[in-house]
Amino acid sequence: MADKPKIALCWLASCAGCDEAVVDLNDAILQVAEAVDIVLWPIALDFKYDHLESFGDKELALGILHGAVRNSEQEEIAKLMRAKSKLILAFGSCACFGGTVGLANFRTREDIFNWVYRDAPTVVNPEGRFPQPETRVDGKTLTLPEFYDHVYTLDQVIDVDYYLPGCPPPPDLVLNAVNAVASGNLPPKGSTLAPRAALCDTCPRNKTKPERIEITTVKRIHEVEADPETCFLVQGIICLGFATRSGCGETCIGVNTPCRGCFGPVPGVTDAGTKALSALSCLVKGGQYGDPKKLMESIDDPAGYCYRFSQPSSILGRKSRGENV
Amino acid sequence: MWQSIRNGTAAVEEAVRQFLPPCQAQCPINEDIQRTNVLISLLPEHPEDAEEGIIQIGDYLFEKNPLFTVCGYVCGLCELACNYRSKGGAIKRRLLKRFIGDTYTDYLDNKEEFDIKKHKANVAVVGGGPAGLFCAYDLSIRGYRVTIFEASDRLGGALWLIPRYRLPEKVLEFAVENMVRIARIDVKYDAKVGEGKLTLERITDEGFDAIFIAKGTPTPRTLFFADEQVEGQDLSGVMYGHTFLYEVSHGNIPSHYFQGKKVTVIGGGNVAFDVARTVRRLGGDTTVLCLECEDKDSPDGIPADSEEIRGAWQEGIRIIYSRGVSRIFGEGERLKGIDCPRCTSVFDESGFNPQFDTSDCMSLAGDILIITVGQGPDKTSLKKDDLLDKMGRLAVDPLTLQSLKRENVFIGGDLRRIGFMAEAMKDGLTGAESIVRYLSGQDLKEGRKRDYEVQDTPLKRLYLTEPEVLWVPPEKRMHFQLYERGFTLREAVEEAKRCLCCGPCVSCKACVSLGIQESLPLVEVTQDRCCGCGICVSACFYGAAQIRIVDGRLVSTIDTFKCKSCGMCVETCPSGARRLIGDKTENEVREVYASL
Amino acid sequence: MEAYVPKLVCFSCDFGWGYVTAHDILAPQIDNWIRVTCSSKVDSAYIFEAFEEGADGVLILGCPEGRCHFEDGNFRTEKKIYLLQKVLEAYGIEGFRLRMILSNNPGGEDIPKRIEEMKKALGKLGPMKRR
Repeated sequence: MADKPKIALCWLASCAGCDEAVVDLNDAILQVAEAVDIVLWPIALDFKYDHLESFGDKELALGILHGAVRNSEQEEIAKLMRAKSKLILAFGSCACFGGTVGLANFRTREDIFNWVYRDAPTVVNPEGRFPQPETRVDGKTLTLPEFYDHVYTLDQVIDVDYYLPGCPPPPDLVLNAVNAVASGNLPPKGSTLAPRAALCDTCPRNKTKPERIEITTVKRIHEVEADPETCFLVQGIICLGFATRSGCGETCIGVNTPCRGCFGPVPGVTDAGTKALSALSCLVKGGQYGDPKKLMESIDDPAGYCYRFSQPSSILGRKSRGENV
Repeated sequence: MWQSIRNGTAAVEEAVRQFLPPCQAQCPINEDIQRTNVLISLLPEHPEDAEEGIIQIGDYLFEKNPLFTVCGYVCGLCELACNYRSKGGAIKRRLLKRFIGDTYTDYLDNKEEFDIKKHKANVAVVGGGPAGLFCAYDLSIRGYRVTIFEASDRLGGALWLIPRYRLPEKVLEFAVENMVRIARIDVKYDAKVGEGKLTLERITDEGFDAIFIAKGTPTPRTLFFADEQVEGQDLSGVMYGHTFLYEVSHGNIPSHYFQGKKVTVIGGGNVAFDVARTVRRLGGDTTVLCLECEDKDSPDGIPADSEEIRGAWQEGIRIIYSRGVSRIFGEGERLKGIDCPRCTSVFDESGFNPQFDTSDCMSLAGDILIITVGQGPDKTSLKKDDLLDKMGRLAVDPLTLQSLKRENVFIGGDLRRIGFMAEAMKDGLTGAESIVRYLSGQDLKEGRKRDYEVQDTPLKRLYLTEPEVLWVPPEKRMHFQLYERGFTLREAVEEAKRCLCCGPCVSCKACVSLGIQESLPLVEVTQDRCCGCGICVSACFYGAAQIRIVDGRLVSTIDTFKCKSCGMCVETCPSGARRLIGDKTENEVREVYASL
Repeated sequence: MEAYVPKLVCFSCDFGWGYVTAHDILAPQIDNWIRVTCSSKVDSAYIFEAFEEGADGVLILGCPEGRCHFEDGNFRTEKKIYLLQKVLEAYGIEGFRLRMILSNNPGGEDIPKRIEEMKKALGKLGPMKRR
C-alpha cells in the first residue's frame, strides 16, 4: 500500500471554530481519514510538536493553519509548518485576513494588558502582576511566548499557497479543498478556494432591492425586527454582503442576520472596508438629504464594523513580520 | 416583373434616432445648448479676463446660428422644454445667449470674413428674412454662390417688426449686415421678385439653378365674424397691427402719437401685445381684446407669452378675454366703437371655429382700432408663379420643402407656415440641404426624418430656484429702450452652472474643449465580476448604470448615452467590477505616492 | 533639529478649482497634486494608501453646496470623509489629517494657500504616530 499523503492541522491565535469546521464534515471525515494521514492536530489527536519536527523538509503534502499570528510560539509553528509542508492552506478568516482577533490592532499591547490584568471591573490583581516573557523560579528560567504588539495574518509571516476564508469555512468548501489537494487538481498558487462573486450574487434577498436604495437612518440589527425576506440595506440595516465574497451559503442571512463580512474581499480588492465605506456613503441619503454629518452619525463604529475580520490585512493595518516587532 | 428597388425612397433608412437633452430637441435648429451652458459656467471671474472666452463662445454659436445675437432677445423656445421647469424654474438660456450676444454684437463688425471657395452653382434666395438668410448662409459656407433678392431696403424681414423695447435696432442691424458680409452673400435690395420683369423664369435664365422662396407674410388678415368680413374695417381710425408695426419700425410714427386716444387692439397673440405695448409707449390708453380665455393651460387659452401679458398688465394695459367683434360702427367716416359678443369657445374638433353667445354683447367705444389677428402670404404672386395647388394652397413637400409644381423651387419660412423665428431658420437650413441634394442629383428624402429621444432629469439633492429677472419699473418704461436687465458676468456664470446637463456627453464635450479631460473616458463593466448588488444604480444620478438579466444572472450594465464619465459608479462598486478606460487618475496617484 | 514639514497630498476638482489658469503655471506651486473631474472620484483606498505611503495629511478640494457639476458628487464625498475620519481615528491617526474644503476658485491661486494653511496646522501636531 502506497504511503498516504500526510497533512497537519494546527491552531495559532484561534478560537478552535475552524477545528470544529473540520469535525463538522461528519461522516465525510472518515473518508478524509482514509485518504490522508494526519500527523498533527492538537485539538483532536495526541501528536506533539516534535513529531512534526521529525519529518523532512516538504514531506507533508499539506499544512493547514488557522488563527492569526499574535505571539512568538504561533510564529514558530507557522514557520515550522511552512518548512515541512509542500503546500500551506490559510484556513479561516483569521489566517486569511486576521479575523476578529485582528480587531486587537486598534489597541496597543499596553492598553490590552492594562485592561485585562488591571482595569477590567472583574479583575482582582492587588499586586499588579502582569505576564512576562521570562521569569526565574528555583534558579531555572521559565519562558512564555512573547506577546507581539501587532496581530499578523498568516501570509505576513510565511508564504501561503491557498486561502479558505470563513468564520468558520463551511463544510462543503472544506471538503472541496481537501479533495482538491488529494486529487492534485489545484488552482494557481495564491488562489482563494471559494467562489469569486460577492454575496449578492447568490443571496435570495437580492431581487427584493428597489432600483435605488436610500437609507435614511442606519439601524442596528438588535434595534428592529427585521423582515426576513427583504434585503437588509433596504431596511436600513448595514449588511456587508455586497463587499464580501460568497461561498458561505448565506447562513447568517438565512437566520435573519446581516452579513458581517467574514469571507473577506472579492478577488481584485485588497481592502473590503474601503469599498464598504464608499458604498455606505452612497446609500445613506434619505428625505431631504440632510446634513452629511448627521446622516452618517447613525453608523456606529464604522471601523469596527467594516474591518471586523480584516483589520490586519487592511491598507492602514497591514504590516509584514520583519518590520517593527 | 417582380423587381426589388434599392435606392431612392425604397432604400433602408439609417437609424436616425438620437439622444438629446430636451432643450436641444426643442430648439428647431438643435443648437448646442448644453455645451454653451457649461462653457459659460466655466468663464473666468473677472470681466476683462472673460471677454476673450465670451468671444470664443460667440464664435462657436455663430457657426451654427449667425443670428444668435437676435435670438438672445426674442427666442427662448428651449426654456419651455427644460427639465428644470418642474424643479424650480427653467434655465434662463435666452438671457445667457443674450449675455454672450451683448459682447459679441460689438465684435461683429470686426469679425473676419470666412475664407470659402465659392466654386459651386448659383442659387437665388427670394426674401431676406430669417429663413432666407439662413438658407443663404448655409449654402454659402458650403461653396455655393448665393444672391438674396430682398424686396425692401433692409435685411431681416419680419424681425424688424419686433418693437425696440424687446429687440434693440443695433443688435438686429449688426447681426444681419455682418452675416451677409462674413459669409460673402450677395444681396440685391429693392428687388421685388414677382413684380414687373423680375420673375422666377428670369432668375432661372440668369443662371440661378435653384431658388429658395421665403417672402414671408406681408398681408394682414382682416376681421371676420360668422364667416363674413366685418363691415367698417375701412373707417378712419381702423388699422392693421402688422402695417402699424411696419411704420413704427421705419420711424414714421412720432412719439405721443396716441396721446389722449383710446386704442383697442384686437388679437391674443404676441404680435397683438407688441402692438398694444408699442401704442402704450406712444401715449395711448390701451385695451387688448381677444377671443381666447385667460387660462393658458386650457386649449382655448391666450397664445401670447406669459411674460408679455405680465409686462402689458404692469404697463397699465387692460385685457378683455373671451370676446369677439361682430360689428365696427362709426360716425360718418370715423370710428366710434365696436360690438363684442362673448366668445364661448375658440377651437373644436374641426379646428379654429369660434362660437359666440350674441345675447351677451358689450360695446366698446374707442378712437383707434388696431386689428392684429394674423398675417398671410401674398397669394396673387404665388398664383402667378404657379406654386399653388388646385385648392389654392401652397403645393410644397413638408419634409424637403421642394415645390410640388416647380422642381427647382424650394419654399420656407412664414410663407410656408407661420411660426417662430427659429422655425423659419430651420426651414432655411432644410431648404439649403434640399437644394444641395437637388443640385448634386442625390435623393432628397433619404435620412431627412429625424427622431429625438430626450433625456430625463438627473437626480440632485437640492434643486435651485431660477433667478429673478429684473425689469425696469413700469412707470419708467414709457420709451423704446430695453426694459429687461440682462445678466452680469457673475449672474451668467451662476445661472449657467445651474444647468443639469441632462444630455449625453457626446453632444456636449465642453470639458474636453476646455482641456479638463483629454477625452471622455468610457465606463467598462466586467460582468463576471459583477454580483448584481445594484449599488452602482444608487450611485448614478443619471440612470446610466442599470441592472439587467444576462444569462440568468442579475448584472450591471452601462448606458453610454446617459453616462457622464464622472467615475462615481467606479468608485462605489464594491467588487471593483467597473473601470474608466482611458482615465489617467490611477497612474497619477501611483506617481505621486511613489515620491512621498 | 530639523523643522518638521508635513507632506500633504492634494486632490482637487477640475470644475471648481483652477480651471481658468494654465496647468503649467499652477503645477510648480503645488506638490503632490492630483486633479480629478469630481471630488467623488477620489477612492477611499487612495486616501488610506496616501497615509500608508507616508503622507501626513490629505486635502480634498471640492465644489460648494449645490454646485457640483455632477449633481451631488461633493455631498457624497462629504459623507465619505466623515466616515473615513472616524476610521482613521480608530487606527490611531488624527481625523483632521484628512480634510475637505468645499469652495470655488477658478483661478486656482487658493490651492497652494489652502495647502500651506493645512501644513501649518499639521506642523503643530507633529509627525504621525503610526501603530
